[in-house]
Amino acid sequence: MERMDSLTPDIKRLFQAKEDRRRKLAALSFPEKVQIIVQLQHMAAPILRARGENVDVWTLRP
Amino acid sequence: MEETLRVLNSLERDGVLRRYAIGGAMAATFYTEPVLTFDLDIFVLLPTSPGALLTLSPLYEALRSRGFSEEGEFVKIEGVPVQFLPVYNDLLREALGEAREVPYGSTTTRVLRAEHLAAIAVQTGRQKDRDRLRMLVDQAGMNREYLTDILVRHGLEEKWREWTR
Repeated sequence: MERMDSLTPDIKRLFQAKEDRRRKLAALSFPEKVQIIVQLQHMAAPILRARGENVDVWTLRP
Repeated sequence: MEETLRVLNSLERDGVLRRYAIGGAMAATFYTEPVLTFDLDIFVLLPTSPGALLTLSPLYEALRSRGFSEEGEFVKIEGVPVQFLPVYNDLLREALGEAREVPYGSTTTRVLRAEHLAAIAVQTGRQKDRDRLRMLVDQAGMNREYLTDILVRHGLEEKWREWTR
């Protein structure tokens, strides 16, 4: 792993932006996070099923 | 998920459960960025009488009477696969007792405290617990004094130091 102090300013800025986005996501409300998890389930389920895993995407009422 | 939580609240109100709280990845998500999970872990304290066996059967029976039946180790409640985990040690019993009440839409639920989730991750010790612990340390804004007290009382300080070095 590259040490942070050896990275160029551009790359440091990119990493900082990623970190900022993660903190923004962490600050969302619980129901908003659950909606994101269901979106993640929709994205991940086909891949996991192709690997033989039995997963169910949640069916939440709107 | 609100409908699922309403069902859990009704089980507690009716005395089928003494107390419940959300644990696992969904509880961690309450404090951190959302992480992929396909099930909702619910820690439960069951009503017991002296000498009686600890069993989930009365809970499953109550759920069946509400139209929800078990599928393997899960019960699908209003579209969400729920796994019920009876508290099985002192740390979990304490975590459930001190879980925080939080709003979810127009209902309320309980979520284990971040400090207890961190201690449970250290105690459980799987790779995914290490990942969860890292996120909690980075994002959950834990109360270090409260966390240290939990780690000391449950004999987890050494493993904590090892994991967070």
